Amino acid sequence: MQRVTAWLNEKNPGLDSPIGVEEDLIEARLIDSMDFLEFIDLLEEISGDSIDLQEVTIDDFRTLARVRERFLGSAVLADAPAG
Amino acid sequence: MNTSSITALPGIELKSPGAGLITLDPVRTALLRGLDELLTGLAARLAAPEVVGPPLLSVEGLARLDFFRNFPHLGVSVGRFGSEALDGLASGGSPQDLPLQPTGHVLPSATCYGLLLSLEGEDVGEDGLRLSAVGRCFRNETHYDGLRRLWGFHMREVIYLGTKDGASEHQRRGGEYVEEVAGRLGLTLTRAAADDPFYDNGGSRARLMALDPVKFEYSSPDGTAIASVNRHRNFFGERLGIRAGSHGPAYSSCVAFGMERWVHAMILAHGTAEQALERLRAAGS
Repeated sequence: MQRVTAWLNEKNPGLDSPIGVEEDLIEARLIDSMDFLEFIDLLEEISGDSIDLQEVTIDDFRTLARVRERFLGSAVLADAPAG
Repeated sequence: MNTSSITALPGIELKSPGAGLITLDPVRTALLRGLDELLTGLAARLAAPEVVGPPLLSVEGLARLDFFRNFPHLGVSVGRFGSEALDGLASGGSPQDLPLQPTGHVLPSATCYGLLLSLEGEDVGEDGLRLSAVGRCFRNETHYDGLRRLWGFHMREVIYLGTKDGASEHQRRGGEYVEEVAGRLGLTLTRAAADDPFYDNGGSRARLMALDPVKFEYSSPDGTAIASVNRHRNFFGERLGIRAGSHGPAYSSCVAFGMERWVHAMILAHGTAEQALERLRAAGS
């Protein structure tokens, strides 16, 4: 999960507080549409599994909590920011 | 609207100057003007002031909005003859093969771009801001098809900038208005997620839009999209430094009407331009 938050912080250098696990990454454009496929690549790299865009919904990417649950497994929950 | 004096031009043919370019006859012109008046009712309902956008857009401004990354094929650029060519032209030389110098501007491809760029650095406040405008828009296309697909056309837009909830509400009320007006005009429209003409259809933005549609189109029975409701999240707010008070970068949305396509849809639904005009007159009274 750390790599995911690091990626988000790198893409959003102006953030002045940690990204909450339930914060809407899509609506707030913390994942910019131009970077969406790069984000998918990152999740595939971390999880070792490919992601078929026909088999997911936008809600699977909407929050850190959902990303973790859907793609990364609950074992990596511990390092997600609490805020 | 008084349509009694609006007739076709007897014995006169209004010729097209080229593919995708049309001179509207008096009846179709009356349809276009009357439809625009009717659709501007959305602006009145939402208290959106009427403005006139700029006739040209800077390529620098559009580049900051990723326009060329998304739609490099659509932009109709503006060039001018260099000074070395002027004497030859003035003495009757052909302009056909002379090179043009870039001006750093393109013709608008949508009405909202000029309005949004005009608001750079502004704070629209927590109540947000709405604007309405109609403008001629231009898009390079691979083919042209009557009033359905023109090189230049009129686009009426009502835009909103403000909060996230306000942008959703604007999109919702815009959609309701489209359906209400279509009902009054006897138009049957279908609503569907838009298939925007991205240059790279497999690209990141197109793939995200497929998963999370931010644009919906209303189409006539022959598949012609005549209106759309779009939300942009806080993209324009961030890129142009437009704030919504304490809410930070403004969220935005817009409702857009392709005016010549409304004329097309009316003729399709009612048989002839004259009958369409009669129906419009009845709907407006």
